[in-house]
Amino acid sequence: MFAIENLHKSFVASGAEVRAVDGISLGVETGKLITLLGPSGCGKTTTLRCLAGLERPQSGRIVIANRTVFDSAKRIFVPASDRGIGMVFQSYAIWPHMTVFENVAFPLRVARAKKYSSAEIRDRVSRMLDMVQLTGFAQRPATQLSGGQQQRLAFARGLVHEPAILLLDEPLSNLDAKLREQMRLELKRLQRSFGITTVYVTHDQSEALALSDEIAVFDSGRIIQRGTPQQIYREPKNRFVADFVGSANFLPGTVHGNEDGLTAVETAHGVLRCRFAEPIDAGMKALLTARPEDIALGNAAAPPPHAANVLKGRIVNRVFLGEVVDYVIDLGDREWRARARSDDFQIGQAVTLTLSPQKCVGLPG
Amino acid sequence: MTVVQHATDLLSTEPVSRWRRPNFVLIVCVAIGIWLVLVPLAALLLTAFTEDTGLGFGAWTFDNFVDAYGSGRILRLIGNSLIYAAGTAALTFVIGGFVAWAVERTDAPGGALFHNLALLSFAIPGLLMAMAWIFVLSPNIGWVNALLKAAFGLRNAPLNIYSMAGMIWALSSHYFPLAYLALGPALRALDVRMEEAGLVSGGRYWQVLPKITLPLLRPAILSGLLLLFIMGLSSYEVPRVIGRPARIDVFTTQIQQATIATPPEFGNASALSLALLVVCLVAVYFYRRATRNAEAFATITGKGYMPTRIELGRWRWPVSFAIGVLFLIALGLPLFTLAWQSFFSNLSQPFMGSAPPATLANYEYILRYPIFLDAVRTSVVVSAMAATVVVALTLIMAWLARRAASRFAWLLDALASAPIAIPSVIVGASILFTYLVVPIGVYDTIWILLIAYVTLCLPYGMRFASSGITQIHRELEEVAEVSGARTAQVLLRVLLPLVLPFLLAAWIYVFVLSVRELGASIFLVGPGTNVLGTISLTMWEEGGSYGAVAALGVIQILPLLIIVAGLRWLETHVHRRTRTGAGAARTRTG
Repeated sequence: MFAIENLHKSFVASGAEVRAVDGISLGVETGKLITLLGPSGCGKTTTLRCLAGLERPQSGRIVIANRTVFDSAKRIFVPASDRGIGMVFQSYAIWPHMTVFENVAFPLRVARAKKYSSAEIRDRVSRMLDMVQLTGFAQRPATQLSGGQQQRLAFARGLVHEPAILLLDEPLSNLDAKLREQMRLELKRLQRSFGITTVYVTHDQSEALALSDEIAVFDSGRIIQRGTPQQIYREPKNRFVADFVGSANFLPGTVHGNEDGLTAVETAHGVLRCRFAEPIDAGMKALLTARPEDIALGNAAAPPPHAANVLKGRIVNRVFLGEVVDYVIDLGDREWRARARSDDFQIGQAVTLTLSPQKCVGLPG
Repeated sequence: MTVVQHATDLLSTEPVSRWRRPNFVLIVCVAIGIWLVLVPLAALLLTAFTEDTGLGFGAWTFDNFVDAYGSGRILRLIGNSLIYAAGTAALTFVIGGFVAWAVERTDAPGGALFHNLALLSFAIPGLLMAMAWIFVLSPNIGWVNALLKAAFGLRNAPLNIYSMAGMIWALSSHYFPLAYLALGPALRALDVRMEEAGLVSGGRYWQVLPKITLPLLRPAILSGLLLLFIMGLSSYEVPRVIGRPARIDVFTTQIQQATIATPPEFGNASALSLALLVVCLVAVYFYRRATRNAEAFATITGKGYMPTRIELGRWRWPVSFAIGVLFLIALGLPLFTLAWQSFFSNLSQPFMGSAPPATLANYEYILRYPIFLDAVRTSVVVSAMAATVVVALTLIMAWLARRAASRFAWLLDALASAPIAIPSVIVGASILFTYLVVPIGVYDTIWILLIAYVTLCLPYGMRFASSGITQIHRELEEVAEVSGARTAQVLLRVLLPLVLPFLLAAWIYVFVLSVRELGASIFLVGPGTNVLGTISLTMWEEGGSYGAVAALGVIQILPLLIIVAGLRWLETHVHRRTRTGAGAARTRTG
């Protein structure tokens, strides 16, 4: 539905050149939702703004719905107003001087491809307001809406002119935690029912995991990894992704050998077996990754019978979170985190940490 | 882009592609800015370095500088100007600083009233203020002097407005509200927690004030002082009606004198102007330096804290009373005197003996006086045009600077704010020199006044437009663009309605400034193009009756007061609206 090829965009900030987008290539099929995920300053928002036509990249190519909207080699730059996109901003950017109706009607009133009659506009706007459950709000001043309503209004405005793609720039970050979760579901429902290709920018990994068909993890203006939420979470390609998406414990080591699709890694805490995405030769440096929720804690006084992939440690801190308890465990040379349903373990207690080899991911060190 | 490439682009299948193309709007704006600001200054320079021929530029020469700076007179001129400007800056600052502190930082009652009074003082033309002070404090006709002489049995008048101190007082009484308005926001924005941290650490308030509060306010204090100093240097009205009879010359009056000498000494005037300009530029340089690092003094932190105020206890009412008396003396006294005198044809001193019966004859005379009616028309028409042009031009310049061409923001800002550093007298003189030579037929017409007013008011228009645009979240425009609106539609349907209150405020502000204007007008009015300021001056100096002059003043001040009150209403209205509008997205999350 859209494709970005080798996009470069740099800014000059206080005398130094900052490469905000440093060779991004990205393509997405019709109807999918892709999330650009990364910490602030990673280039995800700049990429989105280049796609929208709000920034002018230095080089590269952007195609939206089979139309080249940017090509530095052919000197093509289609302005934002002609790209046929819908966008929802972080601030929602609801026009305070217009009613709810006028906010949604605006894209139709300024449309050039087609002239809409006022009856058509009324029709489409009210249908749109129905879809985002703002029926009956049409004549209200837009500033009188609550945060969640403003967000839905921004959606209606972004979709009313049937854009080829929908761009969402951190649309949930201004909401409080409860409403954010609710709107996350709402957003997914809307996107599905419209079947519109959507690009979603966020720094919130749980939003990314919950919403996306696909995630592109950004760092320093580059895409570090692309994949489904499961792939990104279960098979991180490097330490940055493992650390940024969810949280992870790390342990360095050396590859010992491969058997049964698993790889044995020699570490300071013994030989541990784990999974590598790509085969790796013995003798190579490696980094073991374990998610806190994948660690099974046990009482060191009663170790499991066929103990494999077990580490030993002592609990140094515990944080009660309600449904789960987070433990900080001293392994001697480092601290790990583990998450368990049980709150039986006490500070100072010696524990075993059992890692499932299937869920323990090895990264090339 | 080469022609060949351009042609292939046109043939390509992309219907709406816009690669880089020159920004004509930007070029036009910069050209207008250069024409308004730099061309007159170039004419001034040329005039300074060439022989006076009466028309056009003569041969290169340094004689003008020898003439202007050769005698000891120049030292007196520099001395007078600096003492007058520095004295005014210091006095206004002390008074204004006290008012600002009491209104913003203490629980003394009446803050809103004093704030409104300070804003209203802007409506009073400087010339009328100076004249009114003569009615109050002249040794011969001043009624306060007469009153004091009678009360204490004195033989000589105890107070003399015709002195350096009198000049400083006359200007300070008019400008101290400006000092308050300049310092107030800084005091209000000062994070009270910084003071509280000092108090909690065990400091007393009298220790915290010099160690924490004042250093935090240093940028505001320095920039305020320098601004007032520049305004003192540029001031023309007080030196003209008070300084000249007292034989206390400053640069502004001397420059004007030289241009009306026979034969005109334009070269001399220009040479003097350059010296004044250099002093102003130096002051502006330091002003910029003082405000440049203002952000480093993070006085505003986040949102929604309630500043706690110093509880004055039993000093609450005395402090408030003192400020009230200050306003009464500084603004009430001269205005009351002017109003009183306007009801009597001959000199009438309030509280001195029995007054003759009051009469409206002065008003009847003024309102039927054809020169007055012409001047009203000229002033209103030219000021309205100037306000419109300034608002339109600075809106486009501010939009380019803040949005479309932010790379050139420095250039647009520099051009639009340059006139701040140029005293109105120099603007008037240099525009005169320019259009004596440039043959586009604006000399002796209202258009030359329009050019002067637009030039003088550019900085104020730019400030309103810039702050208006800065307060509008840029995403409001971007989402319109993404929705398919062309630039013109974005500007007309989104930006314009949102900045309209700011533009209206700017319009009123520029209008009032232009109606009040005298320093530049005096060079540029012709026989048919007198404005209110110039006819008031003529009437004063050429012996109109005291009553007629006073009535002329009251007739000007009243409408201006109403207009400025309207501006004040508009600003509070805008403030409330932008707060609810901008805050809605963030605060209403339920």
